[in-house]
Order: sequence, then structure tokens, then C-alpha cells
Amino acid sequence: MSARLIDNRNRRVGLIFLGVAVLMVGLGYAAVPLYRMFCQVTGLDGTTQRVTEAEAAKVFVAEDTMSIRFDANVERGMPWNFRPEHTTDTVSIGARDMAIFLAKNESDHPITGTASFNVSPVQAGKYFNKIQCFCFTDQTLQAGQEMRMPVLYYVDPAILDDPDTRDLRQITLSYTFYAHEDE
Amino acid sequence: MATTAHPDHHPAHDDAHDLHSHADHKPSFFARWFMSTNHKDIGTLYLIFSIFAAIIGGGISGIMRAELAEPGIQVLGWWAQFLGGGEAVDFDQTLHLWNVLISAHGLIMVFFVVMPAMIGGFANWFVPIMIGAPDMAFPRMNNISFWLTFMGFCSLMISAFMPGGTGTGAGTGWTVYAPLSTTGSPGPAVDFAIFALHLAGAGSIMGAINFITTIFNMRAPGMTLHKMPLFVWSVLVTAFLLLLALPVLAAAITMLLTDRNFGTTFFDPVGGGDPVLYQHLFWFFGHPEVYIMILPGFGIISQIVSTFSRKPVFGYLGMAYAMVAIGVVGFVVWAHHMYTVGLSVNEKMYFTAATMIIAVPTGIKIFSWIATMWGGSLEFKSPMWWALGFIFLFTVGGVTGVVLANGGVDDNLHDSYYVVAHFHYVLSLGAVTAMFAGWYYWFPKMFGRWHSELLSKIQFVIFFIGVNLVFFPMHFLGMQGMARRYPDYTPAFSYWNHLSSVGYVIMAISVGVFFLNIIYAIVAGKKPAPNYWGEGATTLEWTLSSPPPFHQFETLPEIDDHAHAH
Amino acid sequence: MRRAADKIKTAGFGLAMGVAFLPQTVLAAIAPAQPDVIENAPAAVPAAAPIAEAAPAGSYTPMAPTPGKGMPIDGAIGFQDQYSPIGEYGLWMHNAILMPVIVIVSLIVLFLMLWVMVKYRRAANPTPSKTAHNTVVEVIWTLLPVLILLGIAVPSIDLLAKQYETAPEDALTVKVTGYQWYWGYTYPDYGDFEVISNMMDEDEAIANGEPPQLAVDNRLVVPVGEPIRIQTIGADVIHSFAVPSLWFKLDAVPGRLNEKMLIVEEPGVYYGQCMELCGARHGYMPIAVEALPRAQFEQWVLTQPGGTLGDEPSDVTEIPGIQQPESAIPGAAGARNPAPEGAAATAAPTV
Repeated sequence: MSARLIDNRNRRVGLIFLGVAVLMVGLGYAAVPLYRMFCQVTGLDGTTQRVTEAEAAKVFVAEDTMSIRFDANVERGMPWNFRPEHTTDTVSIGARDMAIFLAKNESDHPITGTASFNVSPVQAGKYFNKIQCFCFTDQTLQAGQEMRMPVLYYVDPAILDDPDTRDLRQITLSYTFYAHEDE
Repeated sequence: MATTAHPDHHPAHDDAHDLHSHADHKPSFFARWFMSTNHKDIGTLYLIFSIFAAIIGGGISGIMRAELAEPGIQVLGWWAQFLGGGEAVDFDQTLHLWNVLISAHGLIMVFFVVMPAMIGGFANWFVPIMIGAPDMAFPRMNNISFWLTFMGFCSLMISAFMPGGTGTGAGTGWTVYAPLSTTGSPGPAVDFAIFALHLAGAGSIMGAINFITTIFNMRAPGMTLHKMPLFVWSVLVTAFLLLLALPVLAAAITMLLTDRNFGTTFFDPVGGGDPVLYQHLFWFFGHPEVYIMILPGFGIISQIVSTFSRKPVFGYLGMAYAMVAIGVVGFVVWAHHMYTVGLSVNEKMYFTAATMIIAVPTGIKIFSWIATMWGGSLEFKSPMWWALGFIFLFTVGGVTGVVLANGGVDDNLHDSYYVVAHFHYVLSLGAVTAMFAGWYYWFPKMFGRWHSELLSKIQFVIFFIGVNLVFFPMHFLGMQGMARRYPDYTPAFSYWNHLSSVGYVIMAISVGVFFLNIIYAIVAGKKPAPNYWGEGATTLEWTLSSPPPFHQFETLPEIDDHAHAH
Repeated sequence: MRRAADKIKTAGFGLAMGVAFLPQTVLAAIAPAQPDVIENAPAAVPAAAPIAEAAPAGSYTPMAPTPGKGMPIDGAIGFQDQYSPIGEYGLWMHNAILMPVIVIVSLIVLFLMLWVMVKYRRAANPTPSKTAHNTVVEVIWTLLPVLILLGIAVPSIDLLAKQYETAPEDALTVKVTGYQWYWGYTYPDYGDFEVISNMMDEDEAIANGEPPQLAVDNRLVVPVGEPIRIQTIGADVIHSFAVPSLWFKLDAVPGRLNEKMLIVEEPGVYYGQCMELCGARHGYMPIAVEALPRAQFEQWVLTQPGGTLGDEPSDVTEIPGIQQPESAIPGAAGARNPAPEGAAATAAPTV
């Protein structure tokens, strides 16, 4: 009788902690979207912000300027020629600007690519706002096709108030194109 | 702790040669060892398995030290050819073997040596006894835990002979970082290695649930949480760490598997994934994991120091809650393993500060052990030698941890041999020393035969010299800039590397003495009394015969308070 | 170095092999040839370059390393000498703060252990005390470490804070790309050429008076004494760009650009190695940084194919088919859709 009671109690406690373990597995998976959201909200690790036209229109333009450097990479072995039109550009902080990246498919078949992106130094991430970007969607280039890919962005004037970024003079916007494997 | 059982309640206090008492009715050989549900037998299986795995893991480090004894590639080519079945190998395959060796060494030592010995072996054996329970809460699950761990080891061994990219086997490091482990390592070897972690992880999670339930539910009357021996406390904290950390590893490596085989992109930028996320997940598990390996050692050392000082442990509650604090803080410091990955400076500052906090509870433990000895009546039996060695070596390993905690200093030392020296001081010299301490403390209790005290002291001296010679020079190599996971080096690293390899030979001799001691026990070991360490040994296992009866505490012991002196 | 020559084994055969079949990266095609820009360039390059006029374009001889500088020393027991401001600070942090603390703590523990082992051995103290609590002592050994750690934390946090200092706008930018298993150094402001750097064959290294396994065929050449923006990225797996004598280590993660400022204080050659496991030849992709006075650095730039002192290639030729991001045209089929005429102008910044 008492042994049975103990067995029941054990089963209950055991199941509770099994539940904890399952919950932790779930948390491990939940970390994937949570991490992405956390990066997007806080600009952690140089994650850029995505804003709408309407939001961008409300931003005032500061007198200071910021130098923006553009960096383009492709996954190793991907037969695309991908580069920024200009290596650097100087923009007024708060003002919208457009940068053009040039991509050419140098293979003889169409290739779809997705671009990963970040800015460096990483503390600039939360102040770098993209209104439009070719990196938001997949891009397909036909064999030999060349394309100009714009990105519309501005630097949040709040960057001037943050002691961590106040002295920052240049932000690099970096893209890396990855080919979809099924192509 | 200072608790005693009423001896008259207990059949085990019949003379130990009364082997026909109903408590000692044993099943047949096959049923006993392959379908075992007895916590002591499963503990013994774990210990044997751990020793076996240690021979392989330690043998691998022997190949590594032989290769690193001089600059250039000496022995790897031969081994690559030997393991490849005699076929000729090219230079990349030879180098790939190096990565397989370092990966296997890490995985084996962590998952198949230290964890099975500490948690599967000693904790299985003594947690039920120390809390006055007849067995674990879920004896069958206990059995499954062991065989899962065993199959995990088999899976890892199989992986070594599978194609893994540039060569045979999984050459990803024990950390299995993406994308080296995904797009960088085609072939099934990495899948088998990941599967090995799944199996061992599942076994450990089951073990953790088992220990938590046992400790919460099965304590004898009067054995309150605050009267539990510190070893039981250490296992309880460890079990919680396992329960919270291992599932995260399981999730992370499952994502690796699906990234590798089913086209998901959790860690692949193609689909918006981030390889750095894998590192976050891995170290969210990985940092608690190092405490999982060392906390049971803390518990063992507390028992031993108290026994041979004939004093209760100084600051019992502080000791117990220091372990809880280490466990809790251990979950919020993980990114100190990732200082150079491109974290923001703010993140580095936080992780630097949080990491250094761990030194406080760790310091409490070191000082409390010394205070336990202070005013005691110290007897230097062999477990005490090992325990004293542990305290000093762990201190040395701990203070270099404080150095590495500083993100600005780690910018230079990260992934250098300084890190290798640090974690081997806390694990190879810390955890393994604690394992030997526990082994000699409980060997006569577990196996009913005395080991040779002289041989175990000789082993300690040789081991102490050997491991220090292996690992202390690695601090210098690291500061001079030698990188981890290199099979070869510029000649300017040869002096200390050579010395380190000499140290390995000395350490290997001490392992020979260890086996000699086991042979001695089998051949000439005398039968130990129930409480062979005498008056200082106050926990419940000393109220039982040596070895304890097959089933103990069929009538639960009652714990009274009188010995809990202040 | 003392036993260098006689101890080297013949691992070199494989390394030579590795050098032989290195793929020429696709990026090489990107750099537009700019042979004739010396005259109109200096506006963008502020540093005075007296030698630039005197010497003919394209003169560069690899600097001979100074023994013991920027490289490990056999048998040494400390850090390599530091040649960057952050390195000097870090070295001070270790040698003046951390090292004394950890040595003293270890010695105190050792002393206390020896003390109790002698004083409280059974022969000397047959009856143990039963003291198991002493609140004062416990509070002290909790608070004292806290204070010591605070003392460490202050300079440690300050050392980290130094990493907030970023390179100025006109600083030289070098993009370091980690490949399996070699390094690529791109100079986007000097013609966007990429230097491919492989380990030098051991015999050749010894013949050149360079440390084997650390010497490379093409070094990362930088100007001395000025802030440099080092950016790292991985081409395939994660690598780590590390130079111990400059206190510099930064992972090269695929798909993500990392950045850190580097200042080299003295001319010289500084060796380093890849420090993140990246596959079979992880141990065979060393790094050599050569710091030169600005003028000599510019001379070196001109020796590189595509190297130019102008900061921007000439006008980019018109590429047809401006592609509007899909997000701007809801319901659009995506990349293949050429944007309507004038779409770029609409989207262009006007505010």
C-alpha cells in the first residue's frame, strides 16, 4: 500500500520534471524566433531595423553627416558578380538615401539568391533603418543577367545621443548572397 | 552530514558474511548485469563503462601528445593509414584525423567518462544510500539511462569510421559549430556523432529526472533537505542543471541534423539563419555542462574532507547554497565562450561581470573546505591526499578562469592553449582528481575488498606530477599565442610542448598504478569493515556492510538529530 | 627558434600541395583595373607621401622579420611583446592586475592548506573541534572576493570600453576574408584588389629567415601608426583572424561582417594564425601583418594588380534593368520584374 503510494508520488514528480525537460526542448526551438526578434528589436549583433515609409517620413534630418561603406559578398562558389556601385557614401543623418548594388549572374543558368546582411560596428545596428531592400526577398538572375539592386535607408538621428555610438564616423552595410540549393 | 541510523533497524548490520539473508538474493548473471534495476549494480556498470571509455579517450590524448611532442607531422599519418584499414591517405585526410581525435577526445571525456563516473557511477551508488532509500525512484528508467549512454558511445565509435568530409570521422570539435558541422562536413560521420549526443543526452535527462524524484520523494523519515549530505546536494543541483541544459543541446543538435539532412536553415544564412545562434544555444548548454562535471566532485570532496578531519563540514548551508548559486549563475554567463565572435561591447561587459561573480561562491567552497580542516584531527588516508590535491589544483584552474573571464584579456587568449590549460585544470585535474578521490574513498565499500593505500598514494604522487607537467606549460604556450586544435606548430612552441608530452608519459604511468591497484584488490584485497574510515565517516553508507547488501533499507532507517552538533 | 632547423620534419610536401591548387576567387574579377590614377588620387589620401613621388610605382620588398618580435619565442613564459595600444593596455591588465591577484590567491590557499595539514594532523591534534559555523569568517570570505573582483572589474570594463573606439572615416579599411584554408585581404578604397595569402613552404620560410608555419607568401600590408578598420568575414565556415602581438582576434563568420580597429605602433612583421577550427588545414593558414610607413605602404599598393591610390573606381557602366525591391511593389513576382521607368526616382531620397 505504502509502496504504491510512493510509486504514485514518484510518477507524479517524475512526470512534472519530464514536462520541464520537454519545455526546455521547446525553449531551445523557441530561441530561434526569439533570437531573431530580439536582434531585430535591439539591433543586437548589427541587425538592421526595418521601417515603413510613413515612419521614415517622420524622422528629422540632423546637421551631422555619416559615412556609409558598402560591402558585398557572395557565398563561396556562387557564380555571381556582386558589388556596390560606390564603396562609400556620405549622408546626412536622418535623411533617406539610396544605395545601389550591382549583381550579375555569370553562369549559364538562372540562379535565385537570398542576401544576409548586417552592419558594423555592431552597436550601429539599432540606428540603421532600411525602408526598402533587395535583401527582404529572394532575387533571381537569369543566365548572364545584370541587375541594379537598390536599398533605401536612413541613419536614425538618435545615434548622436547614444554614448556608445556618438563618436562613430562610418557604418558599413554588408551583404552576402547565398544561392538556393535547389536551383 | 552528521546523521546516523538506528543500527538495530537494519538487516545489513548482520555480520557481512551472512550472504544468505533475503536482502542478498541476487538474480542470474545476465538478468543482473544486462537488465539490472539495482542502483548499485547500475552504478558499477557505469563505473566500468567510464573506465573503459577513459582508456579510449586517454589513449587518444596519448596520440595527440605524441604528435605534439615535436613540430611537424609525426605519428598522424601512420594512424590515419591504420584506422583507414591500411589504405594510403593524403595529407588532408591525415589532418582530418587530427580533428577527429580532438573531437572524440572532448566528447568521450565529457559525455562518456566524467558524467557517467560522477553521476551514473558514484551518484547512482550513494545517493539512495545516503538518503536512506532502498533504490532509485525509477529503477527501470535507471537501466535505460545506462544503455542509452552505452549506445551513444557506440554511435560515436561508429562515426569515427564513416566518411566525414575531408576524411573519415567527425572533425568538428566537440562544440560541433555550424557551418563547419553542416555544409562544411558532408558524409554521415557528423550525423552519427550528433546522434551519439542525442542518446547520451536522453540518458542523462532520464537520470536527472530519476535523481530529482529520488531526492525529493524517497528520503528516509527525518532526512530533511537541510540534513542531506553535501554529496546529495551536489547531485541534486547537478540534476537540475542537466534537466535545464541538456534539452537545449538536444534542440540545438536536432536543428543541426535537420539543417544537414532536411533542408532547414536554422543556422544557415540562406534561409535567414545565423551560425552564431548555434553558438549561443550550444554554450547555454555548454557552460552549465562544466558545472555538471565538477559539482559532484565538490560533493565528494566535502564528504572526504569532513571524514578525515573528523569534523562536520564547515558552513554546511553556505556550502549547499554556494552550489545552488553556482548552478543559477552558470546559466547566465554562456557568452564568455564567444567573446571574439563579434558580440557588442555592452554584451562583453555584461558577460565579463557576470562570469566573475561565479568566483564568489567558488571561493566560499574552497575556504569552507579549509575551515573544515581547521581545528580538525586530520588523518592522511589516500582519499584525503586526492582531496587535498583537488583543492589546490581546482584553485589554480579557478584563478585562470578569472583571467579568462575578462573579455578584454580573452581577446588575446581565446581559443589558445591558455584556455586548454584552464579547462584541463578544472576538469582533468579537478574533476578527475575528485573521481579518484571518490574511487578510493568508496572502493572498499562498493566492492568489498581493500585497495592498497600505498599504491593509491603512489598513484597520486605520480599523477600529480604528471598532469601538472602536461598542463602547466600550456599556459605559457597560450600566452605566446599557440592556437588550440593544431596538429603542428612553429618550432618556437617546441620547448613547452615537448615537456608537456613528457608529462603525459608520467601521467600514463600513474594510470598503470591505478590498474595495478585494482588487480591488487582482486588478488589480495582484505575484507573491509562496515565503517572502515572510522569515527569521521557519518553518512548512511557507513552503517551498511561492505559491500552493502543487494537490497538495503527494506526497513527505512530513521534519522535523528543528536549528532548534528553545533 | 633555437632548435628550429633540425627539428622540422617534412610536413611541407602537403603544404606545397595546398598552395598549388588554390582556387582563384570569383572576387578577383570584380576589381576594375586602374593603372593610371597616381596623379589624381592623393586628394582622397590625406597622409603626406614624400617617397611616393620619388620612387617608381611598384617597388616593394617584403620586410625581413626581427627575430623575437611579433612571433612566439621558444621557452617564453609570458605574452608576446605588444605593438598596439590596446595590446599594451591588455598586457598591463594581465601583468599588473590579474597575475598578482591570481598568484597571491593561489599562494594563500596553498599556505592555508599546508598550515592545517601540519597544525591539525592527527598526531598534533587528536581531538577535533566541533566548530562548524563562524558567521564573521563566512561574511569576510564572501565580501573579500567581491571587493577583489570589483578591483579587477574596473580596469577590465575600461579595457573593453576601449573597443568602442572606432576607426575614423578616412581610415584604411581592409576586409579580411577567411577561406578554407587561406586568407584574402581586400582593400576596397585602393582599387578593391584582393591579396590572397597562403602559408609559405617551410624550406622557403627558413631560407628567408622567417618562422616556418607562420610565414606566408603574401602579407597583409598596412600603414604603421594610424587607425585601421579591419573587417572580417568568412567565405565558407567560421575562421578567426588572430595576431597575438597586436592583441587582435576577431572571428570571420560567414554572412556577417565583423569590425574592429587596429593600430600598429611600430613597423615590423607580426605573425598570427587562424584560431577557430575550420576543417582539415586549420593549422596551416597563418597570418603575417607587415606594418610599413605610409609612403612605403602606398608603394606596395601600386605593386598590386588593380591597386590604386584613388578611392573610387571610375563611373560604373550603366546596367540595364533596375530592380525594385519586391517589398515596394506589393504582389510583384519578384526579382525578374523590371521596375517601371522612374520607380527608382520615386523611391529615391528627397526628404
